Amino acid sequence: MGVLRAGLCPGLTEEIVQLLKGRRIKTVADLAAANLEEVAQKCSLSYKALVALRRVLLAQFSAFPLNGADLYEELKTSTAILSTGIGSLDKLLDAGLYTGEVTEIAGGPGSGKTQVCLCVAANVAHSLQQNVLYVDSNGGMTASRLLQLLQARTQDEEKQAGALRRIQVAHVFDIFRMLDMLQDLRGAMAQQATASSGTVKVVIVDSVTAVVTPLLGGQQREGLALMMQLARELKILARDLGVAVVVTNHLTRDRDGRRFKPALGRSWSFVPSTRILLDVLEGAGTLGSSQRTVCLTKSPRQPTGLQEVIDIGTLGTEEQSPELPAEQT
Amino acid sequence: MSGESANAVPHYHKLCSRVSRIWGNRRGQHIRSAMDKPRPGKTTFVIMVSPLPEVGISKEEALETLQILRRECLADKPRCAGTSVTVKKCTALELLEQEHTQGFIITFCSALDNILGGGIPLTKTTEVCGVPGVGKTQLCMQLAVDVQIPECFGGVAGEAVFIDTEGSFMVDRVATLATACIQHLRLISGAHTDEEHQKALEDFTLENILSHIYYFRCHDYTELLAQVYLLPDFLSDHSKVQLVIIDGIAFPFRHDFDDLSLRTRLLNGLAQQMISLANNYRLAVILTNQMTTKIDKSQALLVPALGESWGHAATIRLIFHWEQMQRFATLYKSPSQKESTIPFQITPQGFRDAAITVPSSKAGASLNFRKQSQEQEEEC
Repeated sequence: MGVLRAGLCPGLTEEIVQLLKGRRIKTVADLAAANLEEVAQKCSLSYKALVALRRVLLAQFSAFPLNGADLYEELKTSTAILSTGIGSLDKLLDAGLYTGEVTEIAGGPGSGKTQVCLCVAANVAHSLQQNVLYVDSNGGMTASRLLQLLQARTQDEEKQAGALRRIQVAHVFDIFRMLDMLQDLRGAMAQQATASSGTVKVVIVDSVTAVVTPLLGGQQREGLALMMQLARELKILARDLGVAVVVTNHLTRDRDGRRFKPALGRSWSFVPSTRILLDVLEGAGTLGSSQRTVCLTKSPRQPTGLQEVIDIGTLGTEEQSPELPAEQT
Repeated sequence: MSGESANAVPHYHKLCSRVSRIWGNRRGQHIRSAMDKPRPGKTTFVIMVSPLPEVGISKEEALETLQILRRECLADKPRCAGTSVTVKKCTALELLEQEHTQGFIITFCSALDNILGGGIPLTKTTEVCGVPGVGKTQLCMQLAVDVQIPECFGGVAGEAVFIDTEGSFMVDRVATLATACIQHLRLISGAHTDEEHQKALEDFTLENILSHIYYFRCHDYTELLAQVYLLPDFLSDHSKVQLVIIDGIAFPFRHDFDDLSLRTRLLNGLAQQMISLANNYRLAVILTNQMTTKIDKSQALLVPALGESWGHAATIRLIFHWEQMQRFATLYKSPSQKESTIPFQITPQGFRDAAITVPSSKAGASLNFRKQSQEQEEEC
């Protein structure tokens, strides 16, 4: 808490500060907790002046209570909902990705997590004209696939090039570089807070498990601490800077070895506010089928257990923009 | 920051005025303020920059100060070979241009090249799984020769590193493959009479091919890990290497491993090191894996070894399998290509396309392993 010094608030002069220091009252917290009658007597200061001083300092330093209505208004103005470009996925996510929240996509190998991330990046860069940061940690980012997705949306090469320019790609393969990069991003965005154009609106981390699993488990406990620090960075990015964060996660076996669950354990399960699970469509049987089921396993707004089917071969091409605004309102 | 001269750091004066305290500490000495006369030698810094109200600077200025400090600290540290200090970001457009200029390593089986989108891609890790004898090592040896094909014939003109853990590398087989490749290129260059092709063919001799495959033999997982983590130094000396093959990544990790969580950690660390090598040095990494049987709901399935988490490690996954005397390759996982299956064969000249076309109904019916075991159960 703030140290008392001259000029902190009107009425706090240097001699008052020195007198209070003599009575070992050095910070605002000390002053708030002190018995003012006693202090007034011992320091020969006016009781009324001390009470007024304390009131002013408390007003300056205490947290503002917000009522629910104000909070709701603030959220309405500051949160944006970004469509993913896949209609059935938008239905599951309650109209799209919310800024200020972390969304997780979990799935087994080859289930389509990277494809969904690429589709989100393409849609946000092209239809919504916002900047995207794609953090790639396992080599899945292929610009030619991104171009294919954009070509399905528009034939104009200028627009394709413009959308590709709005997607920034960073290749980080270990956790320390990833933390460095997220902190740099936070610093850069905090400085540019006034310039609203050109800021990143979506950060996609594909995948977060690849950088964390070499450290988890075993005798050292550092892995868990580093994972939680990464979680904190992502949440600060989402909340303070108004960014929608998307992460991908792998699947591991349950303890009894029967079912699959998202990796990284229980501690990580509290980090994303929405979790979806991708799986191969059962019963289709044939290899080469590009159908996947998407299941909602955690959501603050929708009931869990909702399922949809998407086709990762033709992602987002059947959804055209005139349809979406009707769904979002 | 090493304390040679405080004035050498350009923002020193700005820092002095903004930062409340920087504590510097050399080993064994008392913590002192580094804003005093800087002393020679390395110092580690614990930096506390407190914004208002003590110093009277705003949060933005505090952030800027921290960024200046980080940049200065990083600039003075000696750079390690091969690693970049700050993360380079590029736009997707630049990445697309890079991908267009990048070549692929052809496999001499045109069907396989087609489903892979041109061949084995650079800057990605590819995993090849298969039962014993289906042709994984043959493919690796073929690629070790193919990576050296000169650029005018459509190759990448690079060198290869072959890390062998099973002892399955046969030099005479590689010599046979190389000779067949040279003859194939001679046939092609017969059509082009320009000097470039002739000159390139002169350099493409058996001795040159064999001398540009760097062979390492690792006997257990410790040697393998050491070799992989020492590769960056090797690659800085041999900058023409475009392919790293690890033949048998499963073998050292499958026996004598009591602690399974340690195995998962080591494998994941290895996977990240491989993709980081592939990305930083622009080369392709091939890993071969074995198959194992998994009992799932009273059915026996043939799946790649090393567990579930290893499935996410490689960027591209190919599975080779047998289907009634014909070899097939299935692309299971790829960021840009669809899943598909093609037949191939291994001839005395090497890895080639299948000679006989397999009827499409047979190929379609037995693609799924689960279905195959169901059929076998019904037969029994």
